[in-house]
Amino acid sequence: MKWLRNTILEIVLVILCVFLSFRARGFLSAENLLKILGDVSMQGIIAFGMTMVIIAGEIDLSVGSAVAFSGCIAAWIVERLTRDNVPAAASIVLAIGAAIAANMLAGVLSGFFRIRFRVPTFISTLAWMAILRGGAKLITHGFPINSFPQGFSFLGAGYIGDIPFPAIVFVAVFLVIQGIMTFTTFGRSVYAVGGNAEAARLSGIGVGRVKIAVMAIVAGLAAIAGIMLSSRLLSGNPESAVGWELDVITAVIIGGTSLMGGAGRVWGTLIGVVFLGVLSNGMTLMNVDEYWQVVARGILIFVAVLVNQAQPGRR
Amino acid sequence: MASSLEARNIRKEYPGTVALDDISLRFDGGRVYALLGKNGAGKSTLVKILAGTVQPTSGEILINGKPITLRSATDAFAQGIATVYQELSLIPELSIAENILLGRLPHKTGALRMIIDWPAARAQAKAVLDEMGVHLDVRRKVAELGVAQQQVVEIAKAMSFKPAVLMLDEPTSALARHETEMLFRIIRRLAKSGVAVIHITHRLQELAQIADVVTVLRDGKFIGSAEFNPATPESIVHMMFGAVVQKQRPADLKAGTEPLLEVQGLSRGDKFRDIDFTLHRGEILGIAGMLGSGRTELLRAIFGADPIDAGRILLDGKAVRPAQAGSPKRMMELGLGFIPENRKEQALVLGQSIRTNLCLASMNRVGWCGLITSAREQRTTLPLIERLAIKVADAGLPIDSLSGGNQQKIVVAKWLNTKPRVILFDEPTRGIDVQAKQHIFQIMWDLSREGIGSIFVSSELEELVEVCHRILIMKSGAIAGEVSPDQITVDELVVRCMETSTVDPRSAA
Repeated sequence: MKWLRNTILEIVLVILCVFLSFRARGFLSAENLLKILGDVSMQGIIAFGMTMVIIAGEIDLSVGSAVAFSGCIAAWIVERLTRDNVPAAASIVLAIGAAIAANMLAGVLSGFFRIRFRVPTFISTLAWMAILRGGAKLITHGFPINSFPQGFSFLGAGYIGDIPFPAIVFVAVFLVIQGIMTFTTFGRSVYAVGGNAEAARLSGIGVGRVKIAVMAIVAGLAAIAGIMLSSRLLSGNPESAVGWELDVITAVIIGGTSLMGGAGRVWGTLIGVVFLGVLSNGMTLMNVDEYWQVVARGILIFVAVLVNQAQPGRR
Repeated sequence: MASSLEARNIRKEYPGTVALDDISLRFDGGRVYALLGKNGAGKSTLVKILAGTVQPTSGEILINGKPITLRSATDAFAQGIATVYQELSLIPELSIAENILLGRLPHKTGALRMIIDWPAARAQAKAVLDEMGVHLDVRRKVAELGVAQQQVVEIAKAMSFKPAVLMLDEPTSALARHETEMLFRIIRRLAKSGVAVIHITHRLQELAQIADVVTVLRDGKFIGSAEFNPATPESIVHMMFGAVVQKQRPADLKAGTEPLLEVQGLSRGDKFRDIDFTLHRGEILGIAGMLGSGRTELLRAIFGADPIDAGRILLDGKAVRPAQAGSPKRMMELGLGFIPENRKEQALVLGQSIRTNLCLASMNRVGWCGLITSAREQRTTLPLIERLAIKVADAGLPIDSLSGGNQQKIVVAKWLNTKPRVILFDEPTRGIDVQAKQHIFQIMWDLSREGIGSIFVSSELEELVEVCHRILIMKSGAIAGEVSPDQITVDELVVRCMETSTVDPRSAA
C-alpha cells in the first residue's frame, strides 16, 4: 500500500503515456518526446528550486517576473556590449553573470526581509513580482530587444546531438538539486527548517541562512530560465513568462510537495513537470480545445492534492 | 437560591489510563471550594466533565438532587453550570458589553429587529457588573483592559447566565497580588449570593484568603475533602502528594568544584531578574519553581534562544559575548545542549525519520564537508539507540512512530551526539512513562560521571530531590533560595515553592 501511494504519480504518468501512444497521433516518437522535454525544461528548472523553497516553508511568487527581468537584462547587456565591439562570447558570459546576480540579489533580499522583519515571502515576492516586471519594462522601454550576436540562440534553441540544450540543463539542474536535498547537510536543514523552524533553531541550525539560500537559489534558477527563454525567442521581452509562477507551483504540488513545508521530493517535482508537459502535448495532438486544456490543468491540481492529502502525516 | 451540584461515582477512562476513578463530590451554594491536585491528578478532566465538554465513562451528575445529562457546554450552561477557563475567550476588539452578551445582544422590536438595542445592551451588561460590585465602563474595548480586568469580564460573562455553579480554572495564574485580592472579593461576593464556586488552583498560599472547603484529587482518585484550616498547609501537601518514597541518587556521584557554567546578574524584561548561579563540573543542578516562575525563560535565555537585557554568562571562567549568547547555534558550538519543555513543537521535526532527528544538532559532525548520507546517519544513530535503550524497530521510520518516552530519549541522544559540556533539561520527563523517566535520570547521572553538567527544571519536585546535587528555588522570576536534596523532604520543598512570595524573594533566601 505504501509503495502504491509513493508511486501513484509515476503509475498515472505511465498510463497516460500508454493511452496517448495509442490515441494521439505522433505522440510516441523520439522527436516528440524530446520536444516535450525541451518545452518543459525552462519552467522545470525553476520548479526544482521552488521545491526547495516550498519544503523550507516559503514561497516565491516572483519567478515569472524574474524570468522576464533576467531575459531583458541579459539581452540589453548583450546588445550594448556587442555594439561596443566586445566579442560575442565575452558579452554573453557577462550578461549571464549579471542577470543571475541581479535575480539572486532580489531573492536574498526576500529571505532577509523574512528573517529580519518577519515579512512573509508571499508578500515580499508579490512585491518583487511587480518590481521585476516593471524593471524589465524600464530596461527595454516596453519593447522587446531583438538584436543578438551569433551563438546566443544556442542557449535556448541549440541541440547537442539530438537533444535540446535546455533539456540537458533541465536534467543537470535536477541531478544537482536532488543531490543537494538528499546528500548534503544543507538539504537536511531545508527539510528541518520547513518541518519545524523552532526545533531547527533550537538544534543549532542557522534558520535564517537556510531561508535566504533557498530564496537565492530559486531566483538564480529563474534567471537561467529567463536567459534561455530570451535566447530561444531571440527576444528580450518584458511581457514574457506571465503566470509562470503558477505553472511552476502547480508542478511542485502535483509532485507531492506539501505547501505546509517540511515534506516533498525533488523527484516528485520532475514527474510533476513531465506530467504537465505530456498532458498538454497530448491534448494538443488530440486537438483538444486550448481553453479546455486550461480547465483540465486545474482539475489535475485538485486530483493531485486530494491524492496527497490522503497520505498519512499530511494535513 | 441555595443550590447544589453533586457528582456520583464519576469514572473516566481513556485508552490505557483511568483519568478519574469513582469520584463522588458535592458542592453547595454559598461556599467556595478549592479543588487541588498536582499535574495529572484529574482536576481538569473533572472540570471538563462538569462543564459538559467531556463525557464520563460512568457515573451521574445531579443538580439539586435531580440527575442531569451534560452532552455539551451548552447543556451545562442551561443547567446553571458556568466555567471560566484559564485561557481567556474574549474578543479583544469588542466592547465589554458586547463580550458579556456575546451572541445574546438585545435587539430592537418590530421592523427594526435587525438592529441592536445598544442602550439596553449597556444597561444589561452594567447590571451584571454592578451585581458583582465591579465598576467598569461597559463601552470600553476589552483590548484596553489589563489581564485582571479581562478576567473579571470573563467572570461577568459567565455570571450573566445566572449560574448556580461557577467553576474557575486557575483564574489567578496570570494575576498580580492586588489583582488577585480584587478577584477574590468578587468571588466571595458571588458565593455570598448563593453561588457554589469551584476554584481550581495549585497555589496553596491563596487558600487562606478564599477557600471554605479544600478538596484534593490524586492520581484520579478522591483523596479527601476538609473544611479549610489555615494551620495545616503541610497536611494538604501530604494529601496532594501522598507518601512519597524518597529515592536517592547513586552514591558515587560527586559534583566537581571547578566552575563550568556561571550565570551572573542575568535579567530579561519581566521574565526573570538578577539570576546568579554557578554550575560545576559533573554537577546536576535542579531548578524548582511553579509554572510561570521564569524557569523556562531562564533556560531559553542561557541557551541563546531568547535575548537577555543584562548580565553575562561564563563558560570555564571565560565570558561569552552577548552577541554569542543571542544564538542557539553559537551556544551549541560552545558546548551547550538544550532539551526544551515541549518536544513535539520545539525539539523534533515530525514526519522526518528517527535518525535524521537524532542527527539534527550534529549534522556537521555526522557528515563530511557538508555531505551526509542516510548510511552515515545510521552508523551514528545505532550506538546511541543501544546506549539509551531506545526501542526502535527501524531508525528510518518517522519519529512519530515512537512512544513519548522513546521520542524524548531521541531528543536526549540528539544532544549527546554533539559532545556537549552542559545540557539544559526543561521538563524532560513530561508525559513519559516511569521507566523512560528512570532512563533519563540514569543518563543525567552518567553525564555527571563524565564531568558534564546538567541543569534540570521540573514541576515534579520529587524528581529534583531524587536526581540533583543541589536545588535552586525560583519564584516570580528570581532565585528565592537554595536547598540540598539530602536535607529536605519533598513536602517541605513543595511548601517552599508554593509559599507566599510577598516577602522580597531575595531576602527570603
